[in-house]
Amino acid sequence: MLKYISKRIFVFIPTLFVISLMAFVISINSPGDPVESLYSGVKEKPGTFNANTSHEKQLLRHRLGLDLPVFYFTIGSLASPDTIYKVFDSNKKNAIERLIDQYGNWNSINAWLKALESITKKINSVAPDSVAYAQQGIEITNQHVDEARQEIYALSVCYEEVVISSKLSKLQKMMAAESSLGNHSPLYFLHKALPSCRQSFEDMKVNSSQWKNWIPCIRFYGYNQYHRWIFGDGNWLTGKGWGNTEGIIRGDFGTSFATKQAVTKTITRAIPWSLFFTIMSVFLAYLISIPIGIRAAEKRGSVFDHGSSVVLFMLYSTAIFFMATLLLLLFANPAVFNIFPANGVKPATGYPDGISLWGKFKITLPYLILPLACYTYSSFAFLSRTMRVSMLEVISQDYIRTAKAKGLSNYLVIYKHALRNALLPIITVFANIFPAAVGGAVIIEVIFGIPGMGQEIFQAISSKDYPMIVCVFSLSGFLTLIGYLVADILYAVVDPRITYSK
Amino acid sequence: MSEEKKSNPEAQHSQERTVDKTVLIKNEEDSAKISGKDFSFRKYAWKQFKKNKPAYFSLYILAFLLVLALLAPILANERPLYMKYQGQTFFPAFSFANNYHIKNSKTGIEENIQLDLVEWKRMNLESVIWAPITWSPGKSDRYNRNYVGPNDPQRFIDRKGDTLYMPARFKHLLGTNESGEDVLAGLIHGGRVSLSIGFLSMGIASILGLFLGALAGYFGDTRLQTTRAKFWMVIIGIPLAWFYAFSFRSFTLKDAMAHSGSSFLLQLIISILVFSLVIFIFSKLGKLFSKGKKLGQFVYVPVDSIISRSIEILNSIPTLILILSLASLAKEESIVYVMVIIGLTSWTGIARFTRAEFLRIRSMDYIQAAQAMGFKESRIIFRHALLNGMAPSLVSIAFGIAGAILIESSLSFLGIGVPKDLVTWGKLLSQGKDNFHAWWLIVFPGIAIFITVTAYNLIGDGLRDALDPKLKR
Repeated sequence: MLKYISKRIFVFIPTLFVISLMAFVISINSPGDPVESLYSGVKEKPGTFNANTSHEKQLLRHRLGLDLPVFYFTIGSLASPDTIYKVFDSNKKNAIERLIDQYGNWNSINAWLKALESITKKINSVAPDSVAYAQQGIEITNQHVDEARQEIYALSVCYEEVVISSKLSKLQKMMAAESSLGNHSPLYFLHKALPSCRQSFEDMKVNSSQWKNWIPCIRFYGYNQYHRWIFGDGNWLTGKGWGNTEGIIRGDFGTSFATKQAVTKTITRAIPWSLFFTIMSVFLAYLISIPIGIRAAEKRGSVFDHGSSVVLFMLYSTAIFFMATLLLLLFANPAVFNIFPANGVKPATGYPDGISLWGKFKITLPYLILPLACYTYSSFAFLSRTMRVSMLEVISQDYIRTAKAKGLSNYLVIYKHALRNALLPIITVFANIFPAAVGGAVIIEVIFGIPGMGQEIFQAISSKDYPMIVCVFSLSGFLTLIGYLVADILYAVVDPRITYSK
Repeated sequence: MSEEKKSNPEAQHSQERTVDKTVLIKNEEDSAKISGKDFSFRKYAWKQFKKNKPAYFSLYILAFLLVLALLAPILANERPLYMKYQGQTFFPAFSFANNYHIKNSKTGIEENIQLDLVEWKRMNLESVIWAPITWSPGKSDRYNRNYVGPNDPQRFIDRKGDTLYMPARFKHLLGTNESGEDVLAGLIHGGRVSLSIGFLSMGIASILGLFLGALAGYFGDTRLQTTRAKFWMVIIGIPLAWFYAFSFRSFTLKDAMAHSGSSFLLQLIISILVFSLVIFIFSKLGKLFSKGKKLGQFVYVPVDSIISRSIEILNSIPTLILILSLASLAKEESIVYVMVIIGLTSWTGIARFTRAEFLRIRSMDYIQAAQAMGFKESRIIFRHALLNGMAPSLVSIAFGIAGAILIESSLSFLGIGVPKDLVTWGKLLSQGKDNFHAWWLIVFPGIAIFITVTAYNLIGDGLRDALDPKLKR
């Protein structure tokens, strides 16, 4: 048995790997820049420059590991360098990739980028002197510098030949407009820098080596974002020496964009509620559905059989959110019956002070009944139908006829002989019910305001909080796998024919 | 009995998803009928299906819903179907133009009518034929805002500006929502969304499921033989094909996506063609190298293991959470995107059914006969086996459509992934959730969803009973 369980767990590893890959794909494809989402400082327009913010963002980027390659390998072309992931401005990165796509010669493209970088550095560090201020006025001078800075930034994110040359000539004009200032002009450095820039642009055009784009090239990276995401930035096995993240195998899912807190902190608060409702509902569903299924099968064709199957079928086809709203409409509505509270799991004002655990339970109980009913009904309808069919199949078997012929009481025949075998299919569906319960929780938790995982993922999606989405995604996959494992073990317990000691 | 079967190969062939022998032997009378000359399993199943009254009735309900959905623009439209105004006739409900420029021939007064803004019910029309429901979805009736119920007094402002009770012809039969949109019109048009979601997403899912399930079941782990050289060449070819199809063309694809959906589709198809071409070239190359003992040795491709494993993985992620997470990636909300996501995540059931069926079919005589005749594997799978193996997956498809409709309405209930201006059943229901006073916003859309889902579930149930003789009562 132990051997079997460990074998099952071993089979989970590739599944977990694929789930983690899918979660990772979601997280890296998320629209928007995580640094911008997490950065709490002042938002700035592109093109303006603030040395402080830029430095802070760079640090944040490093802390998030975004300065690493994405995966263990990339399939790229020979033309593109293996360090392109280091460019963090997505607009600039796009421009560079397009340039590579157009010209294919990394050396000359690199020269062009270097020229651009030096010109950017110069414009960022430019300090207009007093002569310029005196002649032009402070406002106008600063405005000119800003315009030039924006133009240079625009130059570094564009890639079409026409646009680049028009921008270059625009800079030329700006420079010329200030020629009366002589070397006091803040844009004076362009006299030297612009021709070299233009030269490297021409070089890039002339030295095009398009063919390199046609040759595939696979590059491998040992340390990358995925690796770091899974194993953290310390020792991959022990996790020692980690700085910014421990990796998800040690339960570190990063920082939420919305709350700026560790995702795990929010999730650990949410998980108990979801687990409570899921397990409770599955338990209740089995508790109710087994007797119903047995009775319906026992008295086949009776009023009870027909009635229950119609009701169950209707329950089964009812949308969960319809049922939940209907229940609220009926039982939490002052106009009809106001029996249960409509929202939350405890009074909005919190529990009274100094109350015992039992007292808390008594207060919370009415909050739990409607959600539990919703959680339970869909799986219980499905289970009862399955139970009825499997019971019918078992009852028609020879050994049941033998048992009856032996003169055993109906009760003994059903509960001792038939039930155990009829339970088998109903246990296999446990594996189907569990993920449904975890997933179905989203709607119920949103409607009833239960602070569980479903509520978290709903809010995360509304606020585009990707670390949270990824965390709930991976955890629900993990929980489902555990559900499968439990189903397997239960199967072994119920069916003595299965030994698992192969 | 068995001799009778043998002597009648034609009947045996047409038996398609043949009835189990055990059942045949059990019931002599039935077997006589079944092995009769004009026996066709399709006819037999249809007969069984017809006997199942609720399922058969559901077909009619479905047809009714389909007609409602198809005729929605004629059934519920604020624009008149036909009208006569200033001596001229118009068909505003069928008009694509947004503007009528009308000049009265007698008075010479010119008038401009904006079709989406004009209040049709207050116009001085000479004669008019209204649509059965005189409201459009998503268009608010500003005199009946803030949840006016079906039985509440509804206001109507006539041409002179007097406030009256709503004339019976224009009444909001199922009430309005907060912004004064007619619920019945929303229900009729929402049905289009629900039904098309069901068909399209399950269309994608069935193509995927049937294809993969057929491959897994037919080949299993030990039937797809290839030489070692070919196997490895194809494995090497995959990253290369990926490079030339997607990596190399990434900017072409990106630009096409920015341009329009159809050009993206075209480029995507080109990419897929390039992908297949590279794989094809590599497999041919592999054939060239398949000489000698080492390279020419036969190896098996574990098709079944690969496909079954991916089904298992996809099943182990809760569907709704998977779909929600994927929907959150979309840059803009679109119903097509929702359809594709549902389709791509719900093929597993169909694949499992098809796989099980193919495991059974592949050892049947007619398949062996086809193999003996030297037909290509692809021909055997798709022309001989697939049609016969499709029956059980029909059950799964019917249930799948019900599931897809539920998922779409859940998504629009939660307000995720579905565009804001699209009226759907789930969205109507979610509007009622905020205001329990407006029970009509909860009950009617809920019943609409319930009826549709129940109809599909009943059909699925009926199909299962009809197609599986073992379960026969």
